[in-house]
Amino acid sequence: MAVGKKIAGILFNAAIFIGLEVAALSLLGHNGQVQNFFLAKALHGFMAKTWGASESVRYYFSLKGVNEALSQENFQLSQRLKAYESEEEKKRMEALAGSFTDIGEFHYMPASIVKISRNKQHNYLIIGQGTEDGVQPHSGIISAHGVIGIVDAVSKHYAYAISFMNNDFSVSTRLGREGPVGPMVWDGKSSSGAILRQIPLQYRFEPGDTVYTSGFSSIFPADIPLGTVGESRIVNGATYEIAVSLLQDFGAPRYVTLASNKGKEEIDELEEREVAP
Amino acid sequence: MRQSFLLQYILLLIAQVLICNYFHFTPYLTLTLLPALILCLPTRLSTAAGMLIAFVTGITVDLLAEGVVGLNAFALVPVGLLRRGLVRFVFGEELLVRGENFSIHKFGLPKVIFAVFLMQTVFLVLYIWADGAPVRPFLFNFWRYFISVAAGTLLSVVVADLFTHDDRR
Repeated sequence: MAVGKKIAGILFNAAIFIGLEVAALSLLGHNGQVQNFFLAKALHGFMAKTWGASESVRYYFSLKGVNEALSQENFQLSQRLKAYESEEEKKRMEALAGSFTDIGEFHYMPASIVKISRNKQHNYLIIGQGTEDGVQPHSGIISAHGVIGIVDAVSKHYAYAISFMNNDFSVSTRLGREGPVGPMVWDGKSSSGAILRQIPLQYRFEPGDTVYTSGFSSIFPADIPLGTVGESRIVNGATYEIAVSLLQDFGAPRYVTLASNKGKEEIDELEEREVAP
Repeated sequence: MRQSFLLQYILLLIAQVLICNYFHFTPYLTLTLLPALILCLPTRLSTAAGMLIAFVTGITVDLLAEGVVGLNAFALVPVGLLRRGLVRFVFGEELLVRGENFSIHKFGLPKVIFAVFLMQTVFLVLYIWADGAPVRPFLFNFWRYFISVAAGTLLSVVVADLFTHDDRR
């Protein structure tokens, strides 16, 4: 009760004080130019702060609506951007599709990877070009940093390929420019590791030496750098087994080159005829 | 006693009007008795009454003296607001409870000077600020305050002694 009375007293005194001061300031403002100027300035400052604060509160409560509108706008812009990107991609691929190149025995064409698996033991990838684009089965898929895979099956618009990151995949390689030749396979553990096998013991090599495609297959052209030599061990006392660190990052390959050997059919035919009997 | 106080109050008010109109020694000096007048109001008067008296006193001086109307009232109302609190702070709660007034005889000169100084400070700070302090150099405002508070406090102590004359007897 006493506290309530005290508070009422304080409020009463405050009201009287404010009323008298306002009256005094009003008189000051009407009678003194300097005071009038400062009063007007102070009043404008006060009003600006008051309106600013109320505007801030109103703005805060309208944030949900603003966020929704922004989200909607963001979605629309994102859709438009995707449409533009898709169009650009289409134009780019159309331009590249016309740039078929023949170098030596191989016929090269650009292609794009539309899907790739990386987390299995038998990984694969889907190429965004098919028979309509001139893709043939058993074409090699390469990049500037190595071998990506081999086309296994082709549809009208797409091609299914076996990735290098596949336990069934093996590529013929050469250790150094003029070194021994041996098959290289994926190590089955990481996206940047491979194993080079069957390197005779009499050959000398150093860690860091480059491994290239040998060219002794009808699928990949020769001398594509694949990786660098790492640790090695002797297997059965007869050959080296060498760990290779791949140059190609299988994390996100996007654009590749398809290489098809123009004489492959003839070579295969010849092999069948001579080897089969 | 009440008539004597009222008469003294009116006389000192007239004295203040005369000071405002005729005693312009220097722009650095604003001589005022008004804070002391308000401080010396009977302690039994409420804060609201003190503020109303301060406002009327200030307006009276403003109207009768040369100057801007509202200036003294603006600076004096806060003095009225703080009066009882300052009396409690400097002279103690007991004085307010008993409804007695302070005097130099009871509390000594230093305490009265201190109380008058605080009231003068409140009044002069507001007065100098409202009188256009923001457009004047800081040093001018400082010296104006310093000289005015020194002179005003000395004069106000004499006024306070006059007001507390009855209590002393």
